[in-house]
Amino acid sequence: MSNDPYSARVRELFDAPAHAGCLGGELCAKVEDQGVRICLCAEPEGGEIRRMRFLAWGCPHVIAAAEAVCAYYEGRSSAELLDFSALDLMQSLSVPVEKTGRILVIEDAVRTLGGIVRDASNLDN
Amino acid sequence: MTERANLVYLDYAASTPVDPWVAEAMAALMTADGNYANPSSTHIAGRRSVEHIEHATGQLAGLLNTAPECLIWTSGATESDNLAILGAAHYRQDRGRHLVTMRTEHKAVTDPFKALQKQSFDVTWLDPEADGLLDLAKLKAALRSDTQLVSIMHVNNETGIIQDIRRIGELCREHGCLLHVDAAQSVGKLPIDLATLPLDLMSMTAHKVYGPKGIGALYIAPRPGVHVEPLLFGGGQQRKLRPGTLPAQQIVGFGAAAAIAQSRMSDDFRHLSAMRERLWSGIRDIPGISTNGAIESAFPGILNVSIEDIEGESLLLALEPLCVATGSACNSKTQEPSYVLRALGRSDELAQSAIRFSFGRPTRPQDIDLAIDLYRNAVARLRGMSPERAA
Repeated sequence: MSNDPYSARVRELFDAPAHAGCLGGELCAKVEDQGVRICLCAEPEGGEIRRMRFLAWGCPHVIAAAEAVCAYYEGRSSAELLDFSALDLMQSLSVPVEKTGRILVIEDAVRTLGGIVRDASNLDN
Repeated sequence: MTERANLVYLDYAASTPVDPWVAEAMAALMTADGNYANPSSTHIAGRRSVEHIEHATGQLAGLLNTAPECLIWTSGATESDNLAILGAAHYRQDRGRHLVTMRTEHKAVTDPFKALQKQSFDVTWLDPEADGLLDLAKLKAALRSDTQLVSIMHVNNETGIIQDIRRIGELCREHGCLLHVDAAQSVGKLPIDLATLPLDLMSMTAHKVYGPKGIGALYIAPRPGVHVEPLLFGGGQQRKLRPGTLPAQQIVGFGAAAAIAQSRMSDDFRHLSAMRERLWSGIRDIPGISTNGAIESAFPGILNVSIEDIEGESLLLALEPLCVATGSACNSKTQEPSYVLRALGRSDELAQSAIRFSFGRPTRPQDIDLAIDLYRNAVARLRGMSPERAA
């Protein structure tokens, strides 16, 4: 029986968050709620997300989730951001149910970023 | 299983390793070729077990400068606290039902008081000052004619703050009420002379002082009116105050640990002071860092620090393989900020960022240096990925 509150995947993402940082620019979504602060930013190119970065103040599950989200969306269509659901992420990281609210803050940030990227794309067109 | 060799253990306020001499003394009472007999048995083997227990009781009594008859063996400080508080409150309830304690006590003290509140006892909860110390004027003002028991811990398990139990005891004597002291963090580490200290009840445990887990003791002063009602019944051992077969090997372990502590208390104190100074010197310049409680009033085996703009749970993970505590070990699985630090006036966020470093005999300077590196790096890394606060 393990009493480790963190899965191996959470530890891996927390220890080496390759996507921690800020890209600057306008395409950033900042959300603060549930004792969590998250900033997601994206660099789209031709309808795809070329780079995505995060800044986060929160527990290890929050930081791991933010890292996982950034790694997942790089190379994908920016439109997919709008459909993000935290459910799969919670399961893959074995996030305890009492931290659901914190992970939903990330869901808010991802969808907000999707809207910002979409609006910027509409302006460019 | 995590490999021990990779760990840097700075959580000695939670528990200490058993001293090898203690383990050796205990082992001699556990196997077939040793004195494993039930000390309640009247045959020769049982009587030998009793001799071992009497010797150990004398060792603990010697450390505390009291008579062996004043000590009751328990399973640990939690049981001792419960027996002292519930037992004394019930025994003396005909004289009055008012009790006094502090909000910064261990849960083994606060929870029995909450249980007594449900039994219509009236409890006054005193807050510490910002430095962690109890304002004796506030204690004096809280004492009433119907106050029967005051419980104040000697060394706080989270902050290390040392309360002036002599002065507190004098106040209690002046008002005719009993003083119970939870001394789980101080027995064997600070001089305690029960022949001169005005204490009535004192809880202690072995595993904080290089003895085994599962054994503690309660001191009951040989004074009229100082008595407790038992929590357990059956067997009649220990004058029926705490019946049950005495665990001779555990008691021998506590006795041996007490004797060792007595012989090296000054050396231990100097060593702990040096380790704390080394650590604090290495991190005190980090912006936003502060000690919880006044360091000059704290036992040197504990250094509790908070830091601004750092999330505590992430800090703890980022510090691995450093073994330290957030809040007390007993409530470290909860995510609530420490109630002790909140009582000191810390914000939720600062309380949640708190790390308790605690040092022991095995702590080496290189352990401290590694802790300094890990802490500085963890803070820098977490701050580096922290977004600005919303305006």
